[in-house]
Amino acid sequence: MERRDFFKISAITGAAATLDACGKPEQQLIRFIPDEDLVPGIATWKPSVCTLCPAGCGLTVRVMQGDAEVVRNGKLGLIRMGLAKKLEGNPQHPVNRGKLCARGQAGLQITYNPDRVRHPLKRLGARGSGEFQEISWDDAVKELVSQLSTLGQKNEAGSVAFLTRPLHGQRRTLVEVFLKAFGAPAPVSYELFDEAVLRRANLLSFGHAQLPTLDLARARYVLSFGADFLGTWNSPVAQAIGYGEFRQGRPGLRGKFVQVEPRLSQTGANADEWIPARMGSEGMLALSLAHVILNQKLRPSSPGHAASLISGWAQGLPDYAPEKAEKLTDVPAAKIVELAQEAASHEPAVGVVGGAPLAQANGLATAIAVNALNELLGSVDSPGGIFFTAAPPFAAGTKLPEPPERSQGRFGALNAVLQEILLDRPHSPKVLLLHDVNPVFAAPPDAHVQAAVEKVPFIASFGSFVDETSVLADLILPDHSPLESWLDDVPESGLLAAVATVAPPALYALYNTRAMPDVLLDVAHQLGGNVSASLPWKTYDEMLQAAFADVEKKAGAKSGDIWKKAQADGWWSSGEGSAASGKSRLSTSGTPSHGAVTMSEPQFDGALEEYPFSFLPFASTMLYDGSLAHLPWMQETPDPLSTAMWGSWVEINPRSAERLGIRQGDLVEVTSQHGKLQAPALLSPGIAPGVVAMPVGQGHGNFGRYAGHRGANPVSILAAAVEPETGALAWAATRVKISRVGEGKLILFAGGMRENAAEDENR
Amino acid sequence: MAHKWGMAVDLDRCTGCEACVVACRAENNVPTAGEDQAARERVIHWIRVERYWEGEFPDARLKFRPVLCQQCDAAPCEAVCPTYASYHNQEGLNGQIYNRCIGTRYCANACPYTVRFFNFYNPVWDKPLHLQLNPDVSVREVGIMEKCTFCVQRIKAAEIEAATDKRGLKDGDFTTACAQSCPPKALVFGDLNDPTSEVSRLARSRRATLLLGELGTLPKVSYLEQDSWHSEND
Amino acid sequence: MRARKFRHSALILASTGLASLAVLGALASRGSEGAVSPPQVDASQVFTPAHRTALDAVREFFLRHPVPVQPIAYTHKVHLANGMQCVNCHTGVDTGPDAQLPSIKLCMMCHQAIATDKPEIKKMAAYYERGEDVTWQRVYNYYPSAHVKFNHAPHIRAGVDCKVCHGDMTQATVAERVVNMNMGFCLDCHKQRKVSIDCTTCHF
Repeated sequence: MERRDFFKISAITGAAATLDACGKPEQQLIRFIPDEDLVPGIATWKPSVCTLCPAGCGLTVRVMQGDAEVVRNGKLGLIRMGLAKKLEGNPQHPVNRGKLCARGQAGLQITYNPDRVRHPLKRLGARGSGEFQEISWDDAVKELVSQLSTLGQKNEAGSVAFLTRPLHGQRRTLVEVFLKAFGAPAPVSYELFDEAVLRRANLLSFGHAQLPTLDLARARYVLSFGADFLGTWNSPVAQAIGYGEFRQGRPGLRGKFVQVEPRLSQTGANADEWIPARMGSEGMLALSLAHVILNQKLRPSSPGHAASLISGWAQGLPDYAPEKAEKLTDVPAAKIVELAQEAASHEPAVGVVGGAPLAQANGLATAIAVNALNELLGSVDSPGGIFFTAAPPFAAGTKLPEPPERSQGRFGALNAVLQEILLDRPHSPKVLLLHDVNPVFAAPPDAHVQAAVEKVPFIASFGSFVDETSVLADLILPDHSPLESWLDDVPESGLLAAVATVAPPALYALYNTRAMPDVLLDVAHQLGGNVSASLPWKTYDEMLQAAFADVEKKAGAKSGDIWKKAQADGWWSSGEGSAASGKSRLSTSGTPSHGAVTMSEPQFDGALEEYPFSFLPFASTMLYDGSLAHLPWMQETPDPLSTAMWGSWVEINPRSAERLGIRQGDLVEVTSQHGKLQAPALLSPGIAPGVVAMPVGQGHGNFGRYAGHRGANPVSILAAAVEPETGALAWAATRVKISRVGEGKLILFAGGMRENAAEDENR
Repeated sequence: MAHKWGMAVDLDRCTGCEACVVACRAENNVPTAGEDQAARERVIHWIRVERYWEGEFPDARLKFRPVLCQQCDAAPCEAVCPTYASYHNQEGLNGQIYNRCIGTRYCANACPYTVRFFNFYNPVWDKPLHLQLNPDVSVREVGIMEKCTFCVQRIKAAEIEAATDKRGLKDGDFTTACAQSCPPKALVFGDLNDPTSEVSRLARSRRATLLLGELGTLPKVSYLEQDSWHSEND
Repeated sequence: MRARKFRHSALILASTGLASLAVLGALASRGSEGAVSPPQVDASQVFTPAHRTALDAVREFFLRHPVPVQPIAYTHKVHLANGMQCVNCHTGVDTGPDAQLPSIKLCMMCHQAIATDKPEIKKMAAYYERGEDVTWQRVYNYYPSAHVKFNHAPHIRAGVDCKVCHGDMTQATVAERVVNMNMGFCLDCHKQRKVSIDCTTCHF
């Protein structure tokens, strides 16, 4: 054996030491003077906000002294600074009350991710080549200012597009005010799993364009139509807290939970009963349940506003008698009757709908049907039912937006912008600004996102990572990571009280990054004129403080009091709405007038004969919508149902697999009318024979070393089908065919799916 | 009276979300194996959520069960360790003393719960992920067994603080990382020698069972079975 | 003379032992089916508990703590003689596990005015001018493979004087390991004071 191998086995090859234990100062990195005065070994806990999903849970961050390698003035050196060691739920925060989900825990790996962009970048090579060069912040901001002011001078201010994940709080206000003052259109929000359909349904039914807050702790019967409320939907931590109480929080009383979905989700796995209704038929099932309740007079039947929106309700929904519904939903008539009787006799009973049932052409009708069912069951704005979170009483102008005005991500709006570009319309964007959004990954192929984005003359991204969308940028102005930023949010759901969350940065910035709001303010001031005048703050925290000044004035509090308290606690509540409110909070006076909605059968892309399977891309418990694929903890944490890690898989019913000659782990090709992908098959008894499912999250092109070029992206084969009224992407409306192409590789933590290993062959 | 640390897992509350799994690896410097080593079944999860499928479609059912070191009072792993790296301390913990461990892996062989994990290679953290490492917990190198310690670093820290303030430890003063994060409060940690503690109360529940209790390992984790819906309630 | 020879041959024996173990290890890893050798990584890009070099491993095996060279010839003697206390600079020692190695900001609080003509102070001022902190070399640590989590606070609160473990600094210039802090040293005191000698008190 060679001498070199000897050292490799007992040590690692490497460059000069960067540890300071070797005793020779001249061989080491220099040390910078610390910015902070910390005591070693003792943790301080700082409040923050989790930004990994829209729920807006409060965090508390364990910060301890440590040494980090940083670059200052072009020199590499060590600095003693506060490092985030652990995230916990903020025990006082009303949404999550000290608890935190798996994804929230992994948020630490964003700040310390090795693939973070560490300084501003300017494109060097061809667009999309990933070749960038480091530039200074002054130059980067100047470049952006120059691009924008050129447009302004040519009277083309309307040719700026700001593409973002739905914004919250004052960030949203800042961006909206900036764009408006500049003369550009409002920001276009997009996220894959946006719940625009549910918000619209709630607006029409109850006057609130808002996600509902579920009072599970006081419910006796929960009927969920496809909503993964214990995993990825709405406010998962708050809902899981309520679920714990629902089950075992009341001595002698244990709630019953029924989940309706064609594929057993992590949430559905906890149900007492799983009803595998046909995909897209959930709304019809809801109406059938209502039919039984109405016709058997199981509940006092004064129809609420939502019921008046369903055509046929007043007649007792004759088209949805159980025998008829059985043919539409694959749920036996006797079971429908049984469920209806159970729900009606176990008050409080609540219906929940979200996810795939709404990502259909008939999604709006489905949501309104469940709303009407809830009215029938008496669970709207009632203990054990659904509520709508009150909004904090902020003054108009520079306010934290009330939840009902929260911007809604819509595929339709994104598509409209993309079409403008592709069709070379006159005011199509000449400058595209990207913030926390990845449409190249998260939008269906027929949207032609990449082709459209590539046509825009100038693209700037505020992202912290180079992903498949920001790799196309000409300029990258990297944002701080969330723990390094001023964060604010107004939670839309998950609690009754009106709460504003605000937290100062928990950490000093590790790299040469800048908070996006601060960059935008800087750009505004350099642009001058109207834009600068509309945003009279130098930094984002000044803007936040001004918003609180309004509240303090109204509350008669001393200036700065509420602001200081909110920062220290991580949240602030006006107290309004904390008690269960009466029915008067729901007012239909704010609802737009709307004709009756007719329930229809779902529309799928792809003829049944050629594409026999319904395709269900689901939000992965760990990777969510793909935005967390770059966190190694999330790659390595086993999927709850399959224990799969570090890859993609296609869930298929064992009988269907057998028919197609597919065994566990085989590589299969899934083809739709819009594309094809390959991934290993996972045989699961928890999925209907006519459905195949895939987790969303893998299949990134660029996204760092952990996420890049791993697995397959189910969004890449989706049809660009929409729910017609909202324009929301109907991501569950694609049909596919599937065939075996060879041997595949499944990485499962727990081995086979069954205790009897013979059930699974060659894993 | 000396503490006797134990846990209760309410399977009726557990939703299978795996917040405990990630909280634990964040707190305890559990290394990330990466895809290649994961394919060789070398991933380490001190706590994992087992899932048991029963039946076929459409009557398939799935049950979740978080499994972690049971800190057995008659631990098979302690009996077989040649160097006393696995031993029982006076507070009922099964201690794993890393510097005694010589990596025979006999303990993992003996453990019926498969909760012991071996470091087959020196773990690496791509910088700067290592900045997150918890300074209160050792970083284990190659050749060492590791497993759930009931967050012994938190136990020690709480005991030191209590001793300094000259007070006893109260139930709820501190808890393990997994129990702290668990949203439905399925995981409860505490002192089994304190009859008023939450964990003692749950251990006395009619639903309480022991995992593989028939093997005589005397595990200190009580699993509260799921209730059926129509029991006592209607 | 004999001691040196003994140490010398012990070193050879140990290295041979290590070499043969390494050979075995290499053969074993090549022999097993689908073997993947340990990941080849660039030390500057990763953090790992692996030793940087085989020599480090050998040093650790023999519990050798090389005497570090400090960038500035600090003298404890002088500072203590001028009435300073250990905790003035080494903060945190009574509230937590670690004693702080003070940053240059603390030093300059006095030394922007005091003894500014001394060459070592000038050296330090130069660091400060450059915006750099002094790269003090750690003297007291446990090797990572000892897996010891030492906590200062309970010891200070129990009235253990700093000099018991760190020696009499009123006579010292730079810090040096004058006390052989092996496990026996810790256990002796723990047994004497009737404090816990359970393994998990320190090893976790």
